Amino acid sequence: MKPTAQELKIMQRMQPGVITLSGFLGSDTRPLNEILESDSAALAALDRSQQEIADRMESFSQASWDSYLGETLIEGKYLVQTDVYRGRLPCPYGHPGIFRKAITRLTNQSNGLCVVWTSLNIHLIREHGFFEGKGSAFRLEPKTLVKALFE
Amino acid sequence: MLLTILKDVAVLAGISGVLAILLVIAERWLNNYGDCKININGKRELTVKGGNSLLSSLGEKQVFLPSACGGRGSCGACKCQILEGGGPLLPTEKPLLSQAELADNIRLSCQVKVKSDISIQIPDSIFNIRKFSSVISEIIDFTYDIKGITFKLDEGETIDFKAGQYVQLITEPYGKVRQRVSRAYSISSKPEINTSIQLIIRLVPEGICTTWVHQNLKLGDRVNFTGPYGDFFLRDTEADILFVAGGSGKAPIKSMLEHLQVVGTQRKMTYFFGARSLKDLYLTKEMKAFEQVFPDFRYVPVLSNPDPDDNWQGETGYVMPHFKNAIRDPQNTEAYLCGSPGMINAVCKALQEQGVAADKIYYDSFG
Repeated sequence: MKPTAQELKIMQRMQPGVITLSGFLGSDTRPLNEILESDSAALAALDRSQQEIADRMESFSQASWDSYLGETLIEGKYLVQTDVYRGRLPCPYGHPGIFRKAITRLTNQSNGLCVVWTSLNIHLIREHGFFEGKGSAFRLEPKTLVKALFE
Repeated sequence: MLLTILKDVAVLAGISGVLAILLVIAERWLNNYGDCKININGKRELTVKGGNSLLSSLGEKQVFLPSACGGRGSCGACKCQILEGGGPLLPTEKPLLSQAELADNIRLSCQVKVKSDISIQIPDSIFNIRKFSSVISEIIDFTYDIKGITFKLDEGETIDFKAGQYVQLITEPYGKVRQRVSRAYSISSKPEINTSIQLIIRLVPEGICTTWVHQNLKLGDRVNFTGPYGDFFLRDTEADILFVAGGSGKAPIKSMLEHLQVVGTQRKMTYFFGARSLKDLYLTKEMKAFEQVFPDFRYVPVLSNPDPDDNWQGETGYVMPHFKNAIRDPQNTEAYLCGSPGMINAVCKALQEQGVAADKIYYDSFG
C-alpha cells in the first residue's frame, strides 16, 4: 500500500540526523505500515500486547531509575541498569511531550538475553506499536524482547 | 484521432498551468502578511516579516527564547505570555500548558505565527541572551566519554553570565545530519573569564550534538552558541553549602567553585560527587585542591560500584548517607545539585528528611 502523506511526514522525521543520529528505520526499506504490520503479527503470535510489553519495560526502567548508580537485580534474575543523559527527544510521530535520554540495559540471567531500550522506545511501542526498523540502533525484535522480559 | 488526443492534452496542460499560476499568485497574496510589529514588555518594538513563528522571528532579531526541540512544539521550553494578537490556541500547544498558564495566555512561541502586530511579555533576563561566535581553543579528554571543550569568543566579544548557567550549542550539518540542532550544556568555567567558556560534554549514544562534539570538532573549528540561560546559579548568602553532582553535572559546580575562589568566601562547603567506578571520576585533583583554597571545604567522591582493580579507598555506595556529617545546621544550609533526575529526586528527599528547606535546594536536572 502506498504510504499516506502523514506516514511520509513521520518517516521523514525518522530519517538519520533529524531526531537521532542514525534515525529510527535503520536499513529497513519497507514502508512504515509494513514494518508495523509485520511486528504486530509477530506480537499476536507471541500472545502479547504492545501495552503489556511497554508496561513491563517501564517497570524495569523505573526500578533501575530509582537506584540510579549501577545495576539492580530485579525479581531475582533481571539485571537492569539505566543511564540518563542530559536532554530530551521528541516523538517522531509528532506527539506533544519530550522523552528523557535514558537508556536501559536488561540482562535476563536465566536465558542470557540482553536487550537495550530508550525512554522513547517505551512510548513508541505503547502508543504506536513501533519497534523501530531493522538495523536501527535501538531496534527491538519482538520475539527477543518478549523472551527477555517475560521468561 | 491523434490530433484530438494531442489537442486534449494541450488543453489539459494549459488549464493545469493556469491553475498553478493562480495558486502561486493566491499564495503570495494570502500568505503575505507584510511587516508586523512585536512589542516586548511594552518597552521594545521589533519589526519582522510576517508569517513566521514567534520563536524564529524573535531569534532573527537576536532575542533568544530557550528551545530544546528546535521549534517542533514538543518541549514547551519556549513559553511566553501573549498580551495581544497571536491568534487562537493551537491543539499542539494545549497538552504542554497548565490551566494557570492557559488562563494567563501563556503560549508556545514556536507554534504562534506572527501574522499581525503582537504584544508579548518575557523575563527581562532574556535580553541578556545573545548569539556568540567562537573558535575551539582547547579539547581535553576527561574520561572515556566526557570531554572538556573551550570556546574562545571572537575578538572583542565578551559574555556576561552567572556561575551555574548554561548555553545552547548550535551544530553545523555533518555526515547524514542535514540540519542544525541546538543543545543545552552548563558552562564549567568561571564568569570572571568572559572572553571564552568551557563546557563539559558527555557523549550520548545516537546523540546528534554530542557525536558532533566528540567525533567531529577539532581545534580551530568555528562554533556558534546562544546564552546564557537558566536560573541555576549560586545565591549570595552566608549559608553553608552542599554541592552534589554526578557525571557531566560537575560543570556548573566547577564554575561556582572557581567563581567563589575569585570573590572569596568563608562559607562551609562540602561537595559530593557520585560516580560508578574510578574510570568515571575526573578533575579529582583540581577539586581536591579547593580544600587548600577555602577555609572550610571538603571534596568527597563517592563510588557506587568500584571495580576490584580500582583499589578504591574512598567512600562507597550512594552519596545520601554521607550528608549527615556535612550538615551542621539544616536551617542554614543551601544545596546545589546537578545530575540525573534519579539522583536529584533521591538527594532532594534525603536533604528534606534531614531538615533542609525545599526552597533552599537548587538543582539542574538532566532530564
